[in-house]
Amino acid sequence: MSSSTSAALRLVRAEFRLAPRDPMTLTFVLVFPIVCMLIIGGAFGTTPDRAFNNTNPSQWYVASYFTVVIAATGLVMLPVHLASYRERGVLRRFAAAGFPRWSFALAELAVGLVTIALAGVLLLVVAAPVYGVPPVHALGRVLAGLVLGSIAFVSLGVLLGTLLPSARSAQAVGLLLFVPSFLLGAGGPPPKVMGSVVKHVGDVLPLTWVTRTIREPWLGIGTPTASLLLVAALAVVATALAARRSAL
Amino acid sequence: MCRRAARRTIVGMTNHRSDAVVTVRGLRKSYGSRVVVDHLDLDVHAGEIVGLIGANGAGKTTTVECIQGLRRPDAGMLRVLDLDPVRDADRLRPLLGSQLQDSALPDRLRVGEAIELFATARARNGDELLARFGLAERRRSAFAALSGGERQRLFLVLALLNRPRLVILDELTQGLDPSARRDVWAAVAQLRDEGTTVLLVTHELDEAEALCGRVIAMRAGRVLDQGTPAELMARHAGRATVRFGWGAGPDDLASTLRRLPGVADVTEAGGRIAVHGERQVIAHVGAELVRRGRVPADLDVDVPDLEAALLHLLDTATNPAVPVLTGAR
Repeated sequence: MSSSTSAALRLVRAEFRLAPRDPMTLTFVLVFPIVCMLIIGGAFGTTPDRAFNNTNPSQWYVASYFTVVIAATGLVMLPVHLASYRERGVLRRFAAAGFPRWSFALAELAVGLVTIALAGVLLLVVAAPVYGVPPVHALGRVLAGLVLGSIAFVSLGVLLGTLLPSARSAQAVGLLLFVPSFLLGAGGPPPKVMGSVVKHVGDVLPLTWVTRTIREPWLGIGTPTASLLLVAALAVVATALAARRSAL
Repeated sequence: MCRRAARRTIVGMTNHRSDAVVTVRGLRKSYGSRVVVDHLDLDVHAGEIVGLIGANGAGKTTTVECIQGLRRPDAGMLRVLDLDPVRDADRLRPLLGSQLQDSALPDRLRVGEAIELFATARARNGDELLARFGLAERRRSAFAALSGGERQRLFLVLALLNRPRLVILDELTQGLDPSARRDVWAAVAQLRDEGTTVLLVTHELDEAEALCGRVIAMRAGRVLDQGTPAELMARHAGRATVRFGWGAGPDDLASTLRRLPGVADVTEAGGRIAVHGERQVIAHVGAELVRRGRVPADLDVDVPDLEAALLHLLDTATNPAVPVLTGAR
């Protein structure tokens, strides 16, 4: 194993060790989506409804809240984590110690994706006995949406963390982006009951694209290829920019 | 632009010594319109402990950040261990051990985990280093739980962990109590004894005097002067003064003292005599008093130290009428 690979693996291991010790990760990524899913999922009952494309509203929200985990990781957890590291000189220390330039981006990508996977599984485990987990109609499309959406938002999170000057500003901007994305693009009312202006705003939010690419093939109510292509493009651009910006 | 400038300068470089660890020629770095380092030349040779001293804002930290490849110079040539710090950063950084100013570790990273994170294949025994710096009992403590002194000692452990060929220590003892400072000084002195090359950035002049074989004084991004602490003291410390009470009455002591070698001035006031001059006057005045068989009990000698020398140097450099001194080397 080369010294660069060894150094990168040490950094990845350290970041995996530290992630569960971060209260922001525990509360915002693991607990918040589950609590919201339990509340909102129970608010509209289980009878199929036209507003929910004739699906069970509870299961609509189970499928939708998977993307809340993605947004919480990408728009809040990672930007705050990275900005804090930058602000306190942790990244300079990593750079001075000779960690490869790409190693920190790799570590954050790995931690972000694994966090999303674990938080998503936990969400389904909690949802299963309460509302049931809806059957997946098009597994390949759902997985494509999940993977591309996760990469896109983890990269956006890394990018935000490198652009914002402090942990406080990252938290403020992250929440400012997260709340409308959460309400209009994933965990709020279904698009069919939104007013036209609000619906148009929701349509241009990246989290809405991700939610469509996961929810519609999951519940068998559509195959949104345009949204999947947009998410793929976002993943490519955000990853390239994040890798460039987060080089040590 | 920087790389092109660096290549041009390498070709033109003629005074590169074979034992050079750091060679800097014409380094220039600006932040916006503010020039922080201005055509700086600097050499560090193998086995030296070199102190980079100066007030806050003198450009010391920016200089060492350029040496480590953490900042890209605007112009100039840098060679560190025969590598270009920017172009060869991946090869150079593992050869350096550094303790950076204003840097930290993740709050929840434990001391033992920090050792695991930073240790490469050629690392020393981390537990031995922790014990040497009094951190063995803190192995399971999170970085956030360490005191300021413990953090600095941990940074020193990490700087030494991978047997670096050059150690860069920036404001090493900032925030340490006197006892902790002495412990850290002893550790650096041990490095010197082991032949490790150290570039020490400090504005603590007593630290530079205690540890450094050579000191480079900086102001406004330029080198004012450099040399051993003794050389700087000799050049810039001003006069030594010997004072003692002698009483009133006819006596030829003052006139005799005025004729001693190195004496610049003798003043008498209130029964006390003050002899000002070069450092040698301390010996000559003492000898004269012994010859007369009367050594005053209140004999007092004011010997300039490096701090006095550098304060004098910096004061001189702020006066535009006085030319800035250039390097002695």
